[in-house]
Amino acid sequence: MAVTTANRLLTVSILFNAFVVGGVLMGFEMLGSRYLFPYFGGGIDTWAALISTVLCALAIGYFAGGVIVGRYPSPRIIAGAILVAAVYLALVPATGDALMSRILNSIGDGPSAILLAAAALLLVPLSLLGTFSPVAVRLLTRSAEESGGVAGLVYGISTIGNVAGTLLTTFTLIPTIGSRSITYLYAAALAVCAGILFLPIGKQSS
Amino acid sequence: MTVRSLAIALSSVVLGAVFGAAALIGKSAAQDSRDLVESRESVYNNIYVYRQGPYYSMTFGYNRTIYTESIYNSLDDRDLPVDYTRDMTASLMYAKNINSILEIGFGGGRTSWYLHRFLPQVPVISAELDPAVVELSKKYFGIKDEPNFKVVNKDGRIFLNESKDRYDIILIDAYRGPFVPFHLLTKEFYQIVKAHLADGGVVAQNVEPSTMLFDSAVKTIHAVFPQVDFYVAGGNVVTIAYDGPPRATSDLEQTARERDSAYNLRYSLDEMLAQRRQIPIDGGTVIAANAKVLTDDFAPVEALKAIEAHNRKWQ
Repeated sequence: MAVTTANRLLTVSILFNAFVVGGVLMGFEMLGSRYLFPYFGGGIDTWAALISTVLCALAIGYFAGGVIVGRYPSPRIIAGAILVAAVYLALVPATGDALMSRILNSIGDGPSAILLAAAALLLVPLSLLGTFSPVAVRLLTRSAEESGGVAGLVYGISTIGNVAGTLLTTFTLIPTIGSRSITYLYAAALAVCAGILFLPIGKQSS
Repeated sequence: MTVRSLAIALSSVVLGAVFGAAALIGKSAAQDSRDLVESRESVYNNIYVYRQGPYYSMTFGYNRTIYTESIYNSLDDRDLPVDYTRDMTASLMYAKNINSILEIGFGGGRTSWYLHRFLPQVPVISAELDPAVVELSKKYFGIKDEPNFKVVNKDGRIFLNESKDRYDIILIDAYRGPFVPFHLLTKEFYQIVKAHLADGGVVAQNVEPSTMLFDSAVKTIHAVFPQVDFYVAGGNVVTIAYDGPPRATSDLEQTARERDSAYNLRYSLDEMLAQRRQIPIDGGTVIAANAKVLTDDFAPVEALKAIEAHNRKWQ
């Protein structure tokens, strides 16, 4: 790939974002268990709700990201999505418990209640983060020959981010700083990612 | 594709390292002379029921020989072969009244069945997450449907969240193999427990003392209940927690004797009282000074469980 400096900067910032967004995505899934267990128990049913919600969010994000980037091929699209996800996460620590107990008291603790709780917690921010990969692939692709390589690179780095987020959250963050602080940390990390994508470096590529 | 394969390879290596380390830390299984009677894969557990002579035992798969959930003597349904389960009944001499008993974590149901047999007029209710555990307890552990004895299929915390009843004694023994579900070991959980205690009620809990999780668990219980007494037996510790001023031994002794004779208890409360220990929780002598209170926000139970505590000095 012969790329200009500006394009290289864009490439690096998008791949950096792919890693961090991937990390926060899976990290927040692990953290979701900490928000849900006190209300709905720690069984396989709660994990099923968490995992299926995350995958639904990703499916929504992939579809939506693909459609939107066809009309507006700009890094600002994903920067905006990531920023809104950051704001959503920042609101979770203060409102999560009230929401969970409300669901528990009105619907109970059956599968539909657990799914609703998982959706309330995860669906919006993770759908927004899910738009990242198709948009990133479109922004980095210049020719049909490149498309497979670019898609592989974006998904690969994003998946390494998933692995890092899962392990870091489980083995380092949860034992050290507590779920609410981790949520704020994720929100801050996402805000930084969005900030990088809002920088003017993206403009020269279009 | 190479990057993705690399990611998968990397994650396999990392995961392999994590599980390999965990396997090395776990003690190797001893020779097993028991007969496997039944194994069952339920929604929550892999359950194994073994028989050795008249004794049936239930384990949950994790390192079968070490983490036994329950042992039942099929020749004598009032026997409590596991030491700490006897100490759970020490709660009987603390409670002001005994009109209702709740157990969280039923397992083979030995403790609650013992209480039911000796106090048949007192309703004993148990919350057990796993329906297969209840089924097996009825099949092999002498548990029967009887008046005043009830088992509810629910997570203990959900049960309490939804219940408006108050109990004189709440017994907490919810383990899954070596693991304690984190949401049953936090300050918020004990506050819910406290809200379900009748006036003069007590909470008895089985806590495994060999790791740093014990220190945090004790501090967490103490954060909600001003009084915590300890009964040490067979490698386990039973804590008895209650509200109000500390109870004098003479006062407990009197209640113990009254209830020993009133209920004709097999395991004498009066004798059990000799094991009572009141240790300073905040001084850092027995309970580590840096142990933290666990909350719904901060409860690294798995990490604390991995730190062994050596030379615990019981006063």
